[in-house]
Amino acid sequence: MKLRLLVQLGWRNLWRHKRRNGILLGGITFAIAAVVLANSFIRGMQVQMADNAVDLMNGHVKILAPGYLDDPSIAQSFEVAQDWRPDALEGITSDMVAGWASRVRVPAVIMSERETRGIQLVGIDPASENISFVGKLAIQGEGLADAADRRVIVGAGLAERIETQVGRRIVLITQGADGRNREAGYRVAGIYRSDTSSLEKIFVFTGRDTVQDLLETNVVTELSVRLTEERFSPPLLQRLANVFAGLDVMTWQQLDPTAAAMTAIIDVVILVYFFIMMGALSFGLVNSLVTAVMERTREMGMMRAIGMRPRSVLLQVVLESTLIMGAGIAGGVVIGVLAYLPIADGVDLAAFNEALSTFGLSNVLVPQLFAQDVILVVVLSLILGFVASASPAVRCMKMGPLEAMRR
Amino acid sequence: MSEEVVQCHGVTRVYADDAVPVHALRGVDFAVHKGDWVSLAGPSGSGKSTLLHIIGGLDRPNDGSVSVDGEDLGGLSEAQLSDLRLRKIGFVFQAYNLIPVLTAVENVEFIMQLQGIGASERRERALGILDRLGLDDIGDRRPGELSGGQQQRVAVARAVVTDPVLLLADEPSANLDTATTKELLELLRNINENHGVTIVTATHDPMVMGYAKRPVNLRDGAIESDGSTADASPDA
Ligand SMILES: Nc1ncnc2c1ncn2[C@@H]1O[C@H](COP(=O)(O)OP(=O)(O)O)[C@@H](O)[C@H]1O
Ligand SMILES: [Mg+2]
Repeated sequence: MKLRLLVQLGWRNLWRHKRRNGILLGGITFAIAAVVLANSFIRGMQVQMADNAVDLMNGHVKILAPGYLDDPSIAQSFEVAQDWRPDALEGITSDMVAGWASRVRVPAVIMSERETRGIQLVGIDPASENISFVGKLAIQGEGLADAADRRVIVGAGLAERIETQVGRRIVLITQGADGRNREAGYRVAGIYRSDTSSLEKIFVFTGRDTVQDLLETNVVTELSVRLTEERFSPPLLQRLANVFAGLDVMTWQQLDPTAAAMTAIIDVVILVYFFIMMGALSFGLVNSLVTAVMERTREMGMMRAIGMRPRSVLLQVVLESTLIMGAGIAGGVVIGVLAYLPIADGVDLAAFNEALSTFGLSNVLVPQLFAQDVILVVVLSLILGFVASASPAVRCMKMGPLEAMRR
Repeated sequence: MSEEVVQCHGVTRVYADDAVPVHALRGVDFAVHKGDWVSLAGPSGSGKSTLLHIIGGLDRPNDGSVSVDGEDLGGLSEAQLSDLRLRKIGFVFQAYNLIPVLTAVENVEFIMQLQGIGASERRERALGILDRLGLDDIGDRRPGELSGGQQQRVAVARAVVTDPVLLLADEPSANLDTATTKELLELLRNINENHGVTIVTATHDPMVMGYAKRPVNLRDGAIESDGSTADASPDA
């Protein structure tokens, strides 16, 4: 009805205090832009943490024999048909699946001429390892050719410890399902480097068939499926539980609870960060709005005395702050997004490498701008602005018009 | 006898917020006839403003009854009182009458906007009243650019543009010098005599009292003398 009048009044009142409202607008814009940008970094970290956990040969979903996690030996194993594929399952289409890989992973001892170390021996099919960090390793020398490759890949850290090199021979000893030790000699095809140096000392890779030959078996100890999107996990989980009845079907979150907890914490971090930032801002906001309302107490009293309804006066004050909030939010989102665009492909954080790798993060952080985060910031700020302006105005409305005019 | 726009019976107002209750009005009986100009006079603290506010529906008596234009204010809710002020009463206060961010014309239009009058009629009537009151040359100025006297005259224009049954003015000349006060009073006399607007002013300014048709003297919350009843025999 008289909304136009109220907007007009609000608009003119904003210009009445150019400096104060300008500072306020700048503050809101800056805070919103900062929150939008910071959220994209925090989300980037979260996505990277989750990716790393999935990359760590977990996949989104992994099938294991019961008891394998407590006693990771070849005795806790299962068979997978050569032509098994997850997208053949009912309700799972090929565009949901990024890839899958079966492996034989057993504890083993590696011996060079000089040193002996305990390691995890992982028999892989290199063709299917594009779903894990194994497929992305930087290798000096050669990678494995196929699942039947009889050579090994060792980490740089381990190679240094046991003083071996590309082309040298090492011996692997591991226990068969029957409890008897098997051993064989292999040539080092390549030496890999990883962002996380502890990995280099643990994992030794060779062909899956090679490990099966050594252990005189055709079973595997794990089967990982990587999805194109996390949200396809529940339906897959359900199908796999039916197909692999009697086996453990686990998500990466169950396999890596620490990483899962950290990614979950980040959801909270984003909210906390928002409230810290806006809390600081709303201090100024509340202050400005309280001042704006207080200095107009007499004016609002007069407007009510001549017959304007309190509700309309209130609405006018709230509209006014909503105009500022709205402009600040819009500006902040635009600036935040503009600041995000040039770094959307990733920022090199080599300078903080050590701290980051502790958290399982790599040097390049790719910020992630999620619409849902931007919407959350917009909605929460609007609510905040509304409360910050409505509460002093309501207080003013509680006085009668005469009392207000006497101020 | 002509129609009574305001009727007060036994109006009592006690301010009890302080330790000692203040009896601002002690049972006032009072009426205003259509077309009259009543001037409430009396020393500071005698209850002039309180009575004016009660007549204007801005304050409620603790006891007694008030009716305006035949409507008993005691039975009205806050929202209804607000509507009554908007439709039937024009107010001119001592100061802060105008909205600072609106021009003189817009301030006059504002009250009609509240009444829901259409844009073109609003503008026409606002310009018309400013013209008739000799204020047409300052219509585009904001209150900050007007003198105190000009502001008060714009406030009168705003108060009468909606043809209220009653114009209430509380110390309208308090911040004005003699010459400006005279201009304002000529204006009030003009609208009272030529436009038939009923006026009640509350003031201790003798100049204002001189222009009014009927002086009513208050003292300690009671009517001490009433110009209309002074020559008639007391009939309380
Ligand atoms: N809001 C109030 N609270 C307490 N006392 C008041 C209030 N308003 C007026 N009074 C008291 O009521 C009496 C009458 O005041 P008022 O009507 O303003 O007188 P006048 O307008 O004639 O100067 C005075 O004693 C004044 O102090
Ligand atoms: Mg007074």
